Formats: sequence, structure tokens, C-alpha cells
Amino acid sequence: MKKVIIILLAVFLCHYAEAQTTFDRTHQPEAGPAPVISFKDPVIYKFPNGMIVLVVEDHRLPRVSASFYIDAGLVTEGKKAGAYGLMGQMLNEGTAAMPKAQFDEAVDKLGADVSLNSSGGKADALTRYFPQALELLSQGLQTPAFRNEEFEKLRSQALTGKQNESRNVKAVSGQVVNALLYGTDNPMGEFSTEETIKNLTLDDVKSFYNKYITPSRSYLTIVGDIKPALAKQLAEKLFVSWKGSNLALPVISTVKNPVKTVIDLVDMPNAVQSEITVSNLITLKLNDPDLFAAKLANAILGGGAEAYLFKSLREKRGFTYGAYSTIGSGRFQETFKANAAVRTAKTDSAVTEFLAQITKIRSQAVSEEDLKNAKARYNGSFALNMEDPQVTASYSRNILINNLPKDYYQTYLQKINAVSVADVQFAAQKYFGYDNTRVIVVGNAGQVRENLKRLPFEVKEYDRFAQPVAVK
Amino acid sequence: MLKLKKLTCWTAGMFLCQQSMAQKVEFTEYDMPNGLHVILHQDHTAPVVAVSVMYHVGSKNEVIGRTGFAHFFEHLLFEGTDNIKRGEFMKIVAANGGENNANTTQDRTFYYEVFPSNQFKLGLWLESERMLHPVINGIGVKTQNEVVKEEKRMRVDNKPYGNLISAIFKNIFPKHPYNWAPIGSMADLDEAKLSEFQAFFKTYYVPNNAVLSIAGDINISQARGLISTYFGEVPKSEPIKYTKVEEAPITQQLVDTVYDANIQLPMISATYRVPGMDSRDSKILEMISTILSNGASSKLYKKLVDDKKEALQVGSFNYALEDYGAYITYALPNNNTPLHTLLQDIDEEVVKLQTNLISETDYRKIQNQLEKNYISTNAKVLGVAENLADGYTFHHKNTAYTNQEPEQIRSITREDIRNAAVKYLQPSFRLVLYYLPAKNS
Repeated sequence: MKKVIIILLAVFLCHYAEAQTTFDRTHQPEAGPAPVISFKDPVIYKFPNGMIVLVVEDHRLPRVSASFYIDAGLVTEGKKAGAYGLMGQMLNEGTAAMPKAQFDEAVDKLGADVSLNSSGGKADALTRYFPQALELLSQGLQTPAFRNEEFEKLRSQALTGKQNESRNVKAVSGQVVNALLYGTDNPMGEFSTEETIKNLTLDDVKSFYNKYITPSRSYLTIVGDIKPALAKQLAEKLFVSWKGSNLALPVISTVKNPVKTVIDLVDMPNAVQSEITVSNLITLKLNDPDLFAAKLANAILGGGAEAYLFKSLREKRGFTYGAYSTIGSGRFQETFKANAAVRTAKTDSAVTEFLAQITKIRSQAVSEEDLKNAKARYNGSFALNMEDPQVTASYSRNILINNLPKDYYQTYLQKINAVSVADVQFAAQKYFGYDNTRVIVVGNAGQVRENLKRLPFEVKEYDRFAQPVAVK
Repeated sequence: MLKLKKLTCWTAGMFLCQQSMAQKVEFTEYDMPNGLHVILHQDHTAPVVAVSVMYHVGSKNEVIGRTGFAHFFEHLLFEGTDNIKRGEFMKIVAANGGENNANTTQDRTFYYEVFPSNQFKLGLWLESERMLHPVINGIGVKTQNEVVKEEKRMRVDNKPYGNLISAIFKNIFPKHPYNWAPIGSMADLDEAKLSEFQAFFKTYYVPNNAVLSIAGDINISQARGLISTYFGEVPKSEPIKYTKVEEAPITQQLVDTVYDANIQLPMISATYRVPGMDSRDSKILEMISTILSNGASSKLYKKLVDDKKEALQVGSFNYALEDYGAYITYALPNNNTPLHTLLQDIDEEVVKLQTNLISETDYRKIQNQLEKNYISTNAKVLGVAENLADGYTFHHKNTAYTNQEPEQIRSITREDIRNAAVKYLQPSFRLVLYYLPAKNS
């Protein structure tokens, strides 16, 4: 069951044959022999109530961490927007046996971190206090107090927080971008407002709890200075008799991208920079054969300081502190996003530049060098991640959650290294929208509107709740 | 290797055995003939190496009228060198599977790369190129000038509460160069001539003002040879002249108000000027902030957020720097609570610390909390490299400081905590800052 997986970083191997012996500062030094990466598979236990326990031993430091994750998929809140998150917060507000103050004191006394949320929680502690910390986590999950006083406190905090967010350009952008992409009736696009929060009741919170906090489809991952047998024994004692609702992964309907590229403008009069996001929806599962080409295409376009977007928008033009792109992957509809905070006066130029760089990667083959470098980054970060035993644990959990082949991560670098220039271009055309994408600008509309209108795209205006406003 | 040193203890009675485990970070250190201080830590757990250089230069080495230089160099020194073409520096790192970055404080600038360990030589080459002959020219200065302005817009001007720290420091350091923030003045950067940037480099970015700190999957004796090959030719420079500016004590409470267009919710803060990070008192103040605001059972959080429900957030921390520190407490109201009520309630807890010893239970609690935090600081090789370099740079060449920290924490008594609260946290020694939403334009 427990085996050590060894991977050679193939990309670095070729350098070694030509390793030089004399010192010459004018040339970049050659790499040494490829390091061997080895990682252990976790020990896995399955409980009859649906819970899966994964244990990775790492005795370097005297600490143990546990994370509990309930795989509920996407949760639709509808009119009760805010209830799911508030329910997660309420799990930190005391248990049936312990009022909040006593619970907090019990956690802090250990020097531990125990925190809960709507999809589970975590407990980190010094080795000697880990059993108590895990017990507190389990009590928070299984016997929350749900008292009205704490509910009112959290609701008032949520309301105050909402008010304060209203001038935070980045926060507004984060909310409005997903709302415009997915629509506000989709679990990815919906968000809470002062109105929805005001209408929530403690019963709403309890009904979300009864449905979503359950051992069904749950994973308890324990990493650190602990023997698997002891971890199992602790988990059994605390969780094996726990019963809860049966979860099934929800089916969410697919949302379409716009037919023609459109600019969605959201006015924030206090903004000194515009948050620009160029984004479209995609379907890209972890076992999709396009996945590795799409990840590499994204890395070349916007993965870091040497990518197209950073080079053009920051290094060449100085419009922004940083411009990046991301591509999601998973079981549900995900997004491709290219984003930067640019100075107000350069908003329209930056939009043009974003689209030009996306066009470039769609229409022109990337250089062999760019592709080689992007692959090297993946190989390198795979090695760098080996410092963190949490990563090994997350690989195993991903395999289970996404129903991936057992050797998915063992062959991960092979698959990355097999991607060709043509594969990258194919993926860029398939996943990075150009003529049917959405450009969302959150900034000072008074200063950017006229210039945006000169671009060959329709400009639509929305308020910060993604509701259309009359165009002036 | 991190060696676990287990000290078992035997106690009778009801208390759990307070077993103390300290990880000792082993290291080798030496000076090169050009004055470069080298620190090496070997750890073969993962095939990873961190190569870092800590230059003992920050915004406090700048002069009025030319602020923001040290941070500007954080950007400029990625532009290229005699052997690395413009724009290639970061590309080389990424193309070889590494990560790199840099950051600047008031006191030092820290550059690093983390690589798979077969690229160790590449890390040495990059950092030695940067120290030996970086290209500092007009085009690099112009580009990075724009980038830094955007950084300031993003991190300060467009960010809620982004001006808090600079507003505090301006008030409590009227004379000392901590007066201005590392990001500096954009007008100063616009006016600076290329020759001024070049002179700043020649003064401060020199081997005798730097620590090369390396941690990870290396072989010490081989590393020594390589380091002398790569860094040996960097010339030694004049010793750095730095005289600490002494501030007169604050004897009467200062009050200031600033406005921020990015917020709706006001904030109140009280800040006390305290001794620098090499002092024992600085550590004691860190413990005081643990008592006041670390965890939901901490004094301020429990009282203001949970019991009285008058704050959305409350916190305190010791912003410890080389010459001085700033002990900052702050709160954001909930339920429209007036700011002065928040300040009063924070003050009450401070007075309790000044009047009574904290309980034995609370004392054990903060010891556990600090021990747990400490363990995580040396979990990765980059953290080890930085902690060792910090010890040498800021604790009187005591590279082993990171190993002594747990012992220092244990040596601090409840009486020390009470005395430090009395000595430093008096209303007449502080600045009260009202941080308010700007009116809608």
C-alpha cells in the first residue's frame, strides 16, 4: 500500500552530458545531474460512513496537521445567498458541550490552530497536543451550538463587511466578474448582498448544516509527525460513529460565452487603477487530454514574469505592476482569465494589448524555447513542491476526488514533457477566447468610458451587483 | 539537517509534562576576503536549494529628497548584467525550473532564488552577476520607474487602509528615516539622475554589506569552492557609514487623522515607539501582542469582537525594525460603535497587563502558541536561509539567533511582561490615529 514513487526530472537530464569543467562567467552554468524526486503514497483508510482518511508521515518537525474536506461540489444558495458561508463560520462559535469562549480557550491553550468552514476545517498542533486539537475539530463539526446570539453577531459583522467592500475595487471586481460570466443564478456567479444577509435566519444556517456537513464524501487528511496506525485510531474514535446526510455531486447547467466580444464596464468613482479581466468559460477536466497543453499555453501567455502578458503590459509598456492569466480545471465549468490592475489613463490601450497578446498565442506558434522553458517551470515546481508533505497528500486526494488513474502524478511530468508546439496552439485556440470573450473593466467610468467606446466592441455598463445600468 | 533535540522532563502532579523540543538549525559560516559573509545550511530532505543575498540596505539608508531608492533597486537589479541580457534574468530562473523574488524593508533588501538542487551553480551565477556588474542604464530606470508607480497605486493608493503604516510612521518618526515608507516618493524617483542611482549601487550593493545565505540540498565543501569561484572577484568596497538618528521621546499623546477613498468603515489605531529588534524588550512586546490578539481567546478579540460585539476586527503587533519598533494596536468598529469606545476598551486591557501579572494559565498558553509559530518558521529551506541571514544582519552577527529564540521566549517571565507594558505602553508615549473614509467625491 505504501510505496515510494521516484521520478526523474527528464527535462534537466539533457544538460548534463555537456557539463563544462572550466569557469566562464560569460555563459550560464550547466545543470548538474537531474535530481531524483521521491514521494510516499499516503496510507488510506475507508470508514463505513463514507469518510476517507489519508495519512502522510513526516517526522522532520514536531507538528501534525489535519484537514477535513467535504466534497459537496458547487453549492447553490439562491435567495439564501450568504447562508452557506455563515453556516461555516457558525461552526467556530462553540459546541453543545462548550460555549464559544471555552472552546477558544481550549484551542489556544494548546497553541493550536483549529478552524472550521462550510466545507470542513483544519487542526494544526504540536505533536504532543494533536489528539486534543483533532478532538476539538471533530466536536466543532459534529455538535455545533448554533446559538442565536452568535448568529446575530456574525450577521452584523457580515453586514458591516459588505458595506466596507463597496469601495474596494479589487473585491468588487472579483464579485462582478464571476457574476457576469456565469450569471447571478449560477452557484459560481451568485453572491450575497446586504439584502440577502439581512433576510437570513438561524434556521437557514441549520438547514445548510444538515445537508452539507456530513461524513459522506469527506476526506480527513493527516500529515506530519504521526504514525498511520495512531492517526487511524484517533480518527476512528472521533469520527467512525458519525452519521450524516448522503451527498451527491450536483449537476450544474452549462453557461454560454457571448457571441461577440463585449466590454462590460463597472463604475467605481474612487478607483485610481482599472481592474481589467478578459475572460471566458471553459470545460477542462483534470483527465482531459488537452489539459497539459492548455496549462502550458497559459503559462506562456500569462504564467509569470517571462510570459507574453507581463512582458508586454509591464516590461514594455509599464501599464501595470503585473499582468497574468489563469486557467481553471476541474469537474465543473471553469474559467480562463487574463487580468491586471492598470492605471486609469491606459485602460483602453491595455484592453487592446490584452487582446493582441491573446491573438498572438492563438495565431502564431510559440517558440520551441518558450515551450521548453514553460515545461522546465513545471518540472522545477514539481521538485520544489517536494519540500511540502501536504502536496503529496493533496495529490492522492485529487486522484480520489477527480477519479483519476492511480499513476496520474507519477506520469505527470511525462505528460507535460510530451506536449508539442502544435498542441499548444490548438489549446490556445480552443480555450482562450478572442472574438467571443468578455472584457470586464472595473474602474473610474467617467475617465475611461469614451476611450473604451472607440474600440471596436460593444460597451455595456453594469453596477457593482452586475445589474445593467443605462448608458450615458 | 534539522536535528531534533529532545529534552525530556519528569514532572509529578497533575500538569502535563511540558516537554520542550527545539530544532537546531546547523550551519557553517565564514567571511570571504572581499568581506562577503557566507552562511551554509545543508539539508538533503528534498532536492531543493535556496540561494539568497541579504543586502543591509533599506529605505533608512536614503536621504530626504531621494526616497524610494532601495526599493527601486529591488526592481532595477533584475534588469540585466554584463553577461545577462536585459529582461533575461527572470526568464533564466523560470526556464530552469526555479522561483525568484526580492523584497525591501526599511532595513534590508532580500533577493533569492529557489531551484531544484542540480541548478545550484545557476543560482550562484545569477547572484554573483547581480553583485559584480549589473547594468544600470536609462532604459532600465525609465521602465522600472513606471512599474514602481503602478506598484504604489496597487499596494497603497487603490488598497483599503493602504496608507495606514506610512501615516503612523510619519508621525512617530519625525526625524529618523523610518519617517518615509520603503516605496518612497514618486517625485523623488522622477527627479533622480542616472548617476545618483549608480552611486547608490556602488555604496550599498557591495560584498562587505551583504550576506550570502544558502540552504538546502548542497554539499558544504563543494559549495565553498563554487562560492569562491563565483563571488571571489567581486571587489571589496568602502565600509558603510550609518549613524542612527535618535528620536526624542514622545511625552504627550499625538493625534492625527487621515482619509482614505477606498473604505467605508473607519479604523482607530494607537502606536507606541519601542526599542529595535535586537532588544529583549522587542521580544517581550511580541509576547504582549500574543496575549492581546493571537487567537479567539486572546484578551482583545474575546472582549471587543465576541463579548461586546463592538469590533469587526481588532489586533496588535510589534512592527520590529533595526533602530526602533512600532507597537501598533488597531480596531475596526461593528454596529457603528464610536472609535473612542474601541480605544477605551483596548486601553483597559493594556492597563490590566500593567497592573497585574498575567495568569499562569495564560502564560503557558502564549508559550505554546509561540512554540508552534516558531516551528513553522524553519519548515522550508528559503525560511532557513532568511532566518540565518537575519540573525547575522540584525542580531550582532549572531547567526545562531534563530536557534536561541525558543530559549529567549522561555526566559521571559510574567514580571517582564508587566514591566514592559508599564515602560512602553503609556498613553502619553503614543500616537492615536483616526483613519477615516474620505467623503464621496
